Amino acid sequence: MMLSPTKLECALDRLLLADANALDSKDMTGWLTNYAEEEQASYYCRAAENTEHNLELGFMFDDCRARLEDRVTYVTEIWAGTFQDYRTRHFVQRVSHRQVDASTAEAMSNFSVFMTPMDTGVTQILAAGRYLDMVRLSGDGRAKFLSRRAELDTSVLPRYLVYPI
Amino acid sequence: MADATLTWPKNYNEVPKAAFTRSDLYLEEIKRIFHGPEWHPVAHESELPNPGDFRTIRLAGIPLLISRDEGGEVRVFYNACSHRSNQLETAVMGNKTEFECPYHRWLFSAKGELVGCPNPREFVPGFDKADYPLGQPRFDLFYGLIFVTFSAETEPLDQFLGEAGETLRELMAGDGRLKLLGYQKVRYDSNWKGYNDNDGYHAPLLHAAFKMLNWQGGKGRQYTATKRGHVCFESALSVASGPSVLKDKDLIAFKGQDPSVGSRIVQLFPTFVSTKHLDVINLRFATPIDAETTEVHYAYFAHQNDDADMLRHRLRQSSNLLGPCGLISMEDASIFHRIHIGSHTPGNAIFQKGVRDPAKLESEFSQNDESGNLPRWEYYRSVMGFERAQA
Repeated sequence: MMLSPTKLECALDRLLLADANALDSKDMTGWLTNYAEEEQASYYCRAAENTEHNLELGFMFDDCRARLEDRVTYVTEIWAGTFQDYRTRHFVQRVSHRQVDASTAEAMSNFSVFMTPMDTGVTQILAAGRYLDMVRLSGDGRAKFLSRRAELDTSVLPRYLVYPI
Repeated sequence: MADATLTWPKNYNEVPKAAFTRSDLYLEEIKRIFHGPEWHPVAHESELPNPGDFRTIRLAGIPLLISRDEGGEVRVFYNACSHRSNQLETAVMGNKTEFECPYHRWLFSAKGELVGCPNPREFVPGFDKADYPLGQPRFDLFYGLIFVTFSAETEPLDQFLGEAGETLRELMAGDGRLKLLGYQKVRYDSNWKGYNDNDGYHAPLLHAAFKMLNWQGGKGRQYTATKRGHVCFESALSVASGPSVLKDKDLIAFKGQDPSVGSRIVQLFPTFVSTKHLDVINLRFATPIDAETTEVHYAYFAHQNDDADMLRHRLRQSSNLLGPCGLISMEDASIFHRIHIGSHTPGNAIFQKGVRDPAKLESEFSQNDESGNLPRWEYYRSVMGFERAQA
């Protein structure tokens, strides 16, 4: 069944905001719950410059559910205590979307991410770019990411990345 | 203005922290090292595999255009029009067989020849296009790795590399027939020497991942080559055993050849670091931006003979294992920043691990020794003309 335009927009925006909220709260478990519980659920973070030249390599290449779960382990266990922590604020704006079939939609959104390192307190822009999302719709009007590609205009990062964008 | 000076400690294992932070020294380093008689890797020719492919970069401020002509030959040019020095090409990479400067429409071939310019009759009498090719720095190739130098005095490339050349060849899959997978680019808040002192060097206590993966490293050799103190590592790499915290074990799987030496690192003076770790082949092209900032382009490669499965494996491993967000290297990036902040304090940084005698320089080290960096520091000191305090 195709969702009404309003219900679809509502479902997509709830997902976009839930992801921004989880990331900015450093809630990696919450971040993971925004992804579909399917083997092929994926997250990629890559310079758009690579994509435009057919280079698939990314900053983060989590092409299956197992890697998404490992990403949570990197941040919460393996890296804990080794880096200069920083706050982020994600600003996300959906610019286009369409429902592909009864259980799938795709959406494109712009993002900008501010970063404030805890030690300096000086706010900078961490990255700007676009999210290209494939979204799984469930019968109750909820949406989860089947695939999210963060395509960064920022081809030269101003800092190492700990958290996904 | 008098040359920038700095008194160097008498012990070889001590480095004045001021060397990381003084902007007057930085200006002198640009002159003596980056624009001086050193070779700098700028790209691997597999980054421009097809006729007409080009790349642009800036090395210590100098804009370079690297192009492959229709016949397949790779050349390095200054990325500046031979007329008024307008930046010629603005794209980071692409494919063109001609480069046109928009300012006065001077047109150059991929061989660097000036092939056209409007209204030359209005130019200086006797103007001849043949006198105005694109300028070129000296360049040379080593198994496809493209080096430039801005000095006529620099010795031939094979002498510059010395014994490090053999390890570098092996690191680039033995024959340099690489295939580009893509880039991770980042700026670190670190002086270039702070970056170079801490990338490549193994700090096993830093990396929780090593321990969690039951991966404390195998037997390894670290040695330095030539008077410049290029640092090379060759290590056996046991694949992680025991229970793993990772659900996707392929991240740390080893599917390639060469199991006896799973890990190789070659670090060339002044800023280049390269590594082959498991099935990741990674060349790191670094340049200083200013005294407090270093930009690093991590380029990752497969081998031209890889089948589709191996190509996929290298892509998945390369993206997540090393680099500025890599499972086992993100902490390195944080250390670059923190070392730089900490270096704004008085006194010397004192190297300990592997230093048997502070009054002597050695060239063979254990895998995790800090002392492998010391021959490079001695070369730096001598190039900069800093006097060592008397014993």
